[in-house]
This record gives sequence, structure tokens and C-alpha cells, in this order.
Amino acid sequence: MNEMLTPLGLSHFLMTGSILFVLGLIGFVTRRNLIVMFLCTEMMFQGVALALVAFAKFHGNVTGQTFVIFVLTIAAAEAALALGLVVMLFRRRGTLDVEAWQTMSG
Amino acid sequence: MSTPLLLYIASVLGAIALVLMMPRPGNRLAPLGALLGAATLGGCWLAVAFNTGLIHDFSANTLGLPATTFIYFYIFSAIAIAAAVRVITHRRPVYSALWFIMVVLAGAGMFLVLSADFMAFAMIIIYGGAILVTYMFVIMLASQPLEPGQEDQAPAYDRFGRDPLWACVAGFLLLAVLLTVSFDNPDRPTMLANPDAKMASDAEVLRDTLTGRGLDAENSDELASSPQFTADRVSNVERVGLDLFNKHPLAIELAGVILLVSLIGAVVIAKTHIPPGEQHPDPESAAAKAAQTQGGAA
Repeated sequence: MNEMLTPLGLSHFLMTGSILFVLGLIGFVTRRNLIVMFLCTEMMFQGVALALVAFAKFHGNVTGQTFVIFVLTIAAAEAALALGLVVMLFRRRGTLDVEAWQTMSG
Repeated sequence: MSTPLLLYIASVLGAIALVLMMPRPGNRLAPLGALLGAATLGGCWLAVAFNTGLIHDFSANTLGLPATTFIYFYIFSAIAIAAAVRVITHRRPVYSALWFIMVVLAGAGMFLVLSADFMAFAMIIIYGGAILVTYMFVIMLASQPLEPGQEDQAPAYDRFGRDPLWACVAGFLLLAVLLTVSFDNPDRPTMLANPDAKMASDAEVLRDTLTGRGLDAENSDELASSPQFTADRVSNVERVGLDLFNKHPLAIELAGVILLVSLIGAVVIAKTHIPPGEQHPDPESAAAKAAQTQGGAA
């Protein structure tokens, strides 16, 4: 049985990470709710973090895991700022629809 | 059948499944899409997991994980992908956020499979605990009052996607490219194992740490091999901490500056005064207006 199975490789984790990244990307492009759009960027961070940790294991080097700490830092800063902006935008237009702000695209 | 062809077919099927599941009024094909997506993912994994000859064997890039861990990887990976699909297809932002917690938990499980214990728990605490609670707060603060008589309906901007077809085409094109690169091909060895790649042994880590503290090399070698140090292993947290503070001191300072700037920025944004003329009078008329424009569009 075990001879038939391929051992877990780097490709398995890169595959899952890239699927998470692409799903986050599609969500960011298609959804019109500001909050869900920012949630999708967090999902893209998840995919990247998984790839980083997998590479850390593959190369026997902890620096990949250290970088996930910085990814988490940036994600936390981004969430604080973006959600503050979302609340302010909601107070101005009374809706979370991104298309209410289409005039900003010039 | 060659590996890239199989991956392209899987990408196309996945794109079709996701298009079917995207929020759309009166969407009856969503269960069909879910079924197709699950079948695609299952088929892809069967081809990957078993030596069927459909996928090149990647003995070149194994991670040296024990054979028993593979089942955990497949479980966590399936949960993560299913929850991610739910995040982007659910009509209610609250449920999207709850499904995202599921993605984070499954991702933490995969980190545990990769023996990155510290990152797994940091993920759960920071993402599942702190960031998602903030999201929940904002969803509660900024939710639109529902139109009378349609309380079970989400607002229009949650019920319609924006060009889901083209987004799926572009996204899965990117996925096909990424998978082609990440799956090893014997003709094009892009990701062979680094021959020098070997996790530093506990004794090596200890010796480096002790040498860094000003002990000379022979002395620290002796210390590192002494029974009091070899008795306990160097844990993952200690390895990450040593790497973080020994090799990236500047990056820590920069991260601190970024956090400070975002703290000040968040305070400034929260205290911004909106002139009464630009403030939205009351959200209910906005809902009524949205209903009007939607009626006009229909």
C-alpha cells in the first residue's frame, strides 16, 4: 500500500497554496462588498504563507517561517487601516458597495 | 497523458465549477458546481497521491515527512480549499468571515504537518483571534439595514458578482501556470532538492548560539555536547526565535515602524471629521435608493 503512495512533496503544499491564492484573487475581483474583498486579500496571504513554510521545510532553513511572522505583521497593519477606511467610507455613502466609489477611477 | 495536460484539464474543470457556484440571483446550478469542483479536486488528488503514472513521481522534492502524515495533509487541504470557495461564494459577509476562520484553522493544521508548530499557533491566535474579531466588529458596524419584506435577502451588491466568468478564466489561467511550474518534470528539473539542505542539528544550533555569546569555538563545542544541553531538544519556537533575532534585526525594527505608522494612521482615520454635507443622511434611504436602481436595471 505504502509503495503505491507518492510521498508528500513540496509540490503538494505549493499546489494547495496556489489554489488558496487564486481563490482569494478571484474573490477580490468578483465580490463587490468592501469587507469581503479585504477578507480575500487575507486569503491570498494564507496561500503565500503556506508556500513559504513549505519552502522552509524543503530547504531545511527556518528563514521561511521567520518571514511568515512579517507577513502576519503586514496583515495585521493592513486589517487595522483597511477596516478603519471601510467604516469611514460607509459613513459617507451608507453602502459597502465598491461601485458607489466608481468616480474615483477617473 | 502528460502531467501538464492533466493539470490544465483540472484547471478548466475547476474554473467551470467556480463559475457555476458564484453568487447570482436564482442560481440553481450551485450544487452542480460544488459537485463538479469536489470531483475535480478528488480526481486530481487521486492522480497525485497514487503512483498511477499520470503524474511524474516527485521523489526529487520530498520533504522527508513520515508516511503517516499524508492523510492529515489531504484532510486539511480539502477543508481549506472547500472553506475558501465558501468564503468567496457566500452571500452574507458574516458567514464569509466564519468560513475564513475555517481556512485559517486548516492552514494551521498544514503548518503542523510541516512541523512549524510556532507558526501554526501564531496563525490561529493572530488571524483567528485578533484579525477576524476586528472584521466581525466592522461587519456589525457597517451592515446595511435590510429592505422591509426582504429580510431574508442580502443587499444587491452581495447577490451579484462582478464579471465572475472573466475573473475565473484569468484566475485559473494563473493557477494552471503556477501548477505547471510547481510540479516537477524530469525534463525540466526546476525544483530539485538542494544537496546542502539539511535541517541544522540541535547541537549545531546550540553551538552557533553559544559562539555568538562570545564563547570561543572549542569551549562552546564542549558545552553544546554536554549532557545538560543535549538532554532537551531545540524546539521550533527556539529555532524561529534565534533566526529572527540573529539574522533579521533590521527587519524587526522595520516591522515595528510599520506597526507604529499603521497605529497612528488608524487613529487619524478614526478621528477624521466628515462634514455634514458629505455624510450620508440615513442608511435606510440608501437601501431604498439601491432598491430603486436595481428595479430600474431589471
